[in-house]
Amino acid sequence: MSTAEIKFGGFGGQGVILAGMIIGRAASIYDNKFATLTQSFGPEARGSACSAQVIVSDDRILYPYVTKPQILMVMSQESCNKFLPEITEDATVIIEEELVKPKGLKPGMKLFAIPATRFAEELGRKMVLNIVMVGFFTAVTKLVDCNAVREAVKTSVPKGTENLNLQAFDRGYEYGISLVQGSAAPVIQ
Amino acid sequence: MEYYPRTVKTKDGTSVVIRPLAQDDGPALLVFFRALPADDRLFLREDVTKKEVIDRWITQLDYEEVLPIVAVKDSAIIGDATLHFHLYGWHRHMAEIRCVVAREYQKKGLGTILMHELVSHASQKGVDRIRAEMMDTQISAQKAFRRLGFKKEAELKNFVIDIDGKSHNLVIMVNDVSELWKKMEDLLIDYDLSTEH
Repeated sequence: MSTAEIKFGGFGGQGVILAGMIIGRAASIYDNKFATLTQSFGPEARGSACSAQVIVSDDRILYPYVTKPQILMVMSQESCNKFLPEITEDATVIIEEELVKPKGLKPGMKLFAIPATRFAEELGRKMVLNIVMVGFFTAVTKLVDCNAVREAVKTSVPKGTENLNLQAFDRGYEYGISLVQGSAAPVIQ
Repeated sequence: MEYYPRTVKTKDGTSVVIRPLAQDDGPALLVFFRALPADDRLFLREDVTKKEVIDRWITQLDYEEVLPIVAVKDSAIIGDATLHFHLYGWHRHMAEIRCVVAREYQKKGLGTILMHELVSHASQKGVDRIRAEMMDTQISAQKAFRRLGFKKEAELKNFVIDIDGKSHNLVIMVNDVSELWKKMEDLLIDYDLSTEH
């Protein structure tokens, strides 16, 4: 795929924008691709739905806004309900399985689910949930090179937190790889 | 612990394996401590040249209570760093860190690698503050801890004695790990809500 439109959704404070920014940064700075990031927010404060729209392409991007996402990654039920109707009929849907129960999936869609909150808690900091999701996203979409995303994680998080964030990335990535290779139970529609 | 063993490189490019201390490391650990120059052992809390001391550590190995990470080069231990948790009581939010590196591998960043590793573990275990204690004359150790974000919190006059019986001030340095994660939390919130209307 030369161009992919991606939407990241969740509620404010989950690190939705950072997740989108890491993927965009990985593609454009560390993987010789092009990327754009736009973001939007609900009118309410913390806890409301927010999203980041990222385009990753092998070519220059002429129009920076996402119109019909081929990939949706969501970390809250509200964002899933809101964004699922917007995606393509063969889209890849990536969810945090303890927070999201998708309704209205179409037969051609591919669903990948991960217990990212549990993994983040096992690593000691629930707030690395978004980085676990980024690792999982990297593994199941194969859109951006794994090392490029790891590098982007390292340069995007506060100094001193890199190790744990990279472990969170690896946890999500390994789970994604095992799922794609069939050792974890895939949830594919 | 599934993260280990892991190979890291020191400043001069030497490859070193880091991993938790294992049950069969007793003899290698004793060799490591016995090879330390007397100056380096001066400040250690126990007489680590005694086999019974090492045997006690090995038989009581419990990573939940004390996490020892060793640096290994060609089957020889060249560095040992430990993180001591307080499982109960008013220090349970705190852990203590200790580190010793073989003389020929000092000033190559190995101590920093080991300590960085343990700071990361402490953070994962939900520890908020990490304490390091040293004598006032251990200037390079204080510098190394400062580089890792530790700040001097107190200096207690003539509080400890070295193995030669000479008294020293005890310097207590603390790294507030929770501050790091507060930065991460702020980052997530700021990004997600930065253009909120």
